[in-house]
Amino acid sequence: MNEGLFFLFLSSGLFLGWSLGANDAANLFGTAVGSRMIKFKTAALIASVFVILGAVFTGSGASETLSHLGKINAIAGAFMVALAAALAIYWMSSSGLPVSTSQAIVGAIIGWNFYSGNPTDSDTLIEIVSSWVLCPLLSAGVAVFIFWGIKLWMKHLKVHLFRMDSYVRTGLILIGAFGAYALGANNIANVMGVFVDSSPLHALSVGEITFSKTQILFFIGGISIAVGIFTYSQNTIKTIGNNLMHMTPIVALIVVFAQSLVLFLFAFKPLKLFLDAHGLPSLPLVPVSSSHAVIGAILGIGVAKGGRNINWKIVGKIAFGWFLTPVIAAAVCFVSLFFLENVFNLSVYEG
Amino acid sequence: MFQLKLQLFSSAKTLETKIDMFHDKIIDAAMTFKKSIGEFLENGRSESFKKVNSQLRQIEHDADQLRRDIENRLYSQNLIPDLRANVLELVENQDRVINRFDEVSYQFYIERPEIPEIYHSRIRNLVEQVTDCVENMCIASRSYFRDLSLVRDYAQKVYFLEHETDLTSGHLKTAIFDSDIPLANKLQLTTIIDEIEKIADLAEDSIDRLLIFVIKRDI
Repeated sequence: MNEGLFFLFLSSGLFLGWSLGANDAANLFGTAVGSRMIKFKTAALIASVFVILGAVFTGSGASETLSHLGKINAIAGAFMVALAAALAIYWMSSSGLPVSTSQAIVGAIIGWNFYSGNPTDSDTLIEIVSSWVLCPLLSAGVAVFIFWGIKLWMKHLKVHLFRMDSYVRTGLILIGAFGAYALGANNIANVMGVFVDSSPLHALSVGEITFSKTQILFFIGGISIAVGIFTYSQNTIKTIGNNLMHMTPIVALIVVFAQSLVLFLFAFKPLKLFLDAHGLPSLPLVPVSSSHAVIGAILGIGVAKGGRNINWKIVGKIAFGWFLTPVIAAAVCFVSLFFLENVFNLSVYEG
Repeated sequence: MFQLKLQLFSSAKTLETKIDMFHDKIIDAAMTFKKSIGEFLENGRSESFKKVNSQLRQIEHDADQLRRDIENRLYSQNLIPDLRANVLELVENQDRVINRFDEVSYQFYIERPEIPEIYHSRIRNLVEQVTDCVENMCIASRSYFRDLSLVRDYAQKVYFLEHETDLTSGHLKTAIFDSDIPLANKLQLTTIIDEIEKIADLAEDSIDRLLIFVIKRDI
């Protein structure tokens, strides 16, 4: 396939990447930048570099799971799946509903499966859907655990306020970088996962290192996330942390750490292989919503503090979004594929 | 990055030291004030009283410099962005207490009040309670920076001692007005007693604010 045409079809995925960078990266450095602990440009640079590293080096696991759900084998089909997900996200966001890119992309893939007549692997679907519930719960658990740990640490070590501030600043930068890596590793599947099977790109060797064609694709996706971070996340940062409860820098640090760890656990293949090999329960490698992980962590801390300041309406909206987002994305994808195939005469699946 | 981290930790350490030094000044001011009033009651406006009085002035001056330095560092180095307004208010409130020690001692210097000997022990007692109250305010404030769990205990002591100063000054003023000394003297003495008592009021106000800051500092 002509590579220019490929990049045209890739544009929907790149748009998703831009949107991910604009929205989700703000969760990582929002408090640090909002409270002027670090400059936006520094945060954006760190986030961008680590998102790309995570996408290229750890992004394959979650992407393989999406591939099991639906092996999208035509580039026009992949274009429409990503576009349908993007449109579903746009409509949900415009209606003020919390939305997850992961759920939109899964819905759109199912829409493609319906249209192309490919069966949807129910085991994979159950695995993915269970992760939507598990992700915020796990994030809440991790956040509570860290919250209590920090409280205990502060009580016994009697750290001076100014030294604590230095620790928090350093932590926000280091954990923010880890969070960016985890975001890239986990969420690149949402951005580029549907293009993996139809990508015409080739492996590339740089010195001793060889990058697979999937890694090149993820690198391009990573750049689109980085562009989103630089061009739009500053606006998102202004509103972060005000919706559910007021966050102190320490709480923000806990939230970012819990979110990052959960995203990493849902993307880190070696850990899953290790746990599976030893017969231990492991987490599925699936793209999960970083926003849901953040909300889970904030709620966890809210509950640990005695349930004050929690906006339970938002929790209800999220649960509603679990159902609505994939349904809308699937419907949009199904209808759009029909138009793409019959109006533009493009092949949206090969079978 | 490493350099940035080191700079961050050294700025924190410097400010930690400055805050500790500022608290030391509060204790110094309280002790020197007690010494100053004791000296006045003992020898009037003697050379030794003048010396103690100028020591107190120097402490007040040093505390002002420290306060300005702390304020500058907090803002120029962008430290504790969420809590720095609280820390500044805390330091400013406590600086007022130090200023008041100096002002009251200077008032003794200027006015040279004639204090009948029968009131000396009660005035010493009042000064003792006021300085105790301020010392506990200082410990509560130090605890705010290191160990929040202690703040409430010391705050309670401040409230107790402030109430005691109210009682002591009340009894003292009643005794003065029941006496036969000239009305002008009575008025002068009660004004000075009020000024001493106000130091404890300032400590109490500072603690009221501090307890709110504690809630904000708790994660």
